[in-house]
Amino acid sequence: IHPTGKLFVLSDGEGKHTTVELSEPLEEEISGVVEVVGRVTNQATIMCVSYVQFREDKSPFDLEIYNEALKIIHEFPEYFPF
Amino acid sequence: QRIRSQNIVPCTVSQLLAAEQVDETFRIRDVEISQVTIMGIVRHAEKAPTNILYKVDDMTAAPMDVRQWVDTDEAGGENVVVPPGTYVKVAGHLRSFQNKKSLVAFKIMPLENMNEFTTHLLEIVNAHMILRKNLMVSSKVPQSFSSAGIGDMGGYGGGGSLPVNGLTAHQSQVLNLIKNCPVPEGMSLQELKLQLHNMSMSTIKQAVEFLSSEGHIYSTVDDDHYKSTDAE
Repeated sequence: IHPTGKLFVLSDGEGKHTTVELSEPLEEEISGVVEVVGRVTNQATIMCVSYVQFREDKSPFDLEIYNEALKIIHEFPEYFPF
Repeated sequence: QRIRSQNIVPCTVSQLLAAEQVDETFRIRDVEISQVTIMGIVRHAEKAPTNILYKVDDMTAAPMDVRQWVDTDEAGGENVVVPPGTYVKVAGHLRSFQNKKSLVAFKIMPLENMNEFTTHLLEIVNAHMILRKNLMVSSKVPQSFSSAGIGDMGGYGGGGSLPVNGLTAHQSQVLNLIKNCPVPEGMSLQELKLQLHNMSMSTIKQAVEFLSSEGHIYSTVDDDHYKSTDAE
């Protein structure tokens, strides 16, 4: 997380990194798995609209499997329209 | 007597919004649905005296209205409102009122393990794929029935509840037997019963009545013998 609190870096299920920019600095500590909803910018960063921290208190979230699942749903748009 | 879909099908909100309604039934590309599960994040929760209205967002479309009826006799317990920002699993019935779709939930549970979300995504693709495949296969009924063939047909579609070309699996089976009967006076009900071990006589008779009223078959020497109008 950047010192200004307006940027943080996420890595996904394949180990690739991306920068997330916020319009307001972070007001809380975030750690662990975060789901960000936002727009992709021309600089290949994400302008964050909202984010949610995933609960990992009961069991850890398997990010690699989630990544695989995403690839599958992209392969089958007829069964998973969005 | 309509045979209702017995399944509870995992869906995306976008699928539910796209579902077409014919009379009392909803269909997502030919797959009949009634009870569904969705998983998403609560964006809004509004408590009213008799129900709680949530807006659940699974990112495939705009958040969907989910209504949970509150039992006013029950003290607390069941009726704790799920706070916005929580991921939940909703099981309920799809409803449409004035062209607006919503769900009436019989169960809303916060997700404790986010891996369930990943599973839900895959289950949606899987369930819809299998249900659609069942519909396709039911229509390609083999021309000559052996008892093994009948056994296989019985396995599909949960006992003939999936309609194909307007016919249920039971009706298709009966029709195909009648179509392939070479005898001039047609297929008798007794012969149908002998060939279709899984079906009761009343089911066969119902199928025959339906097919006859639709014009697929006609009675010959008596009401117990039928021939197909499509026969070669």
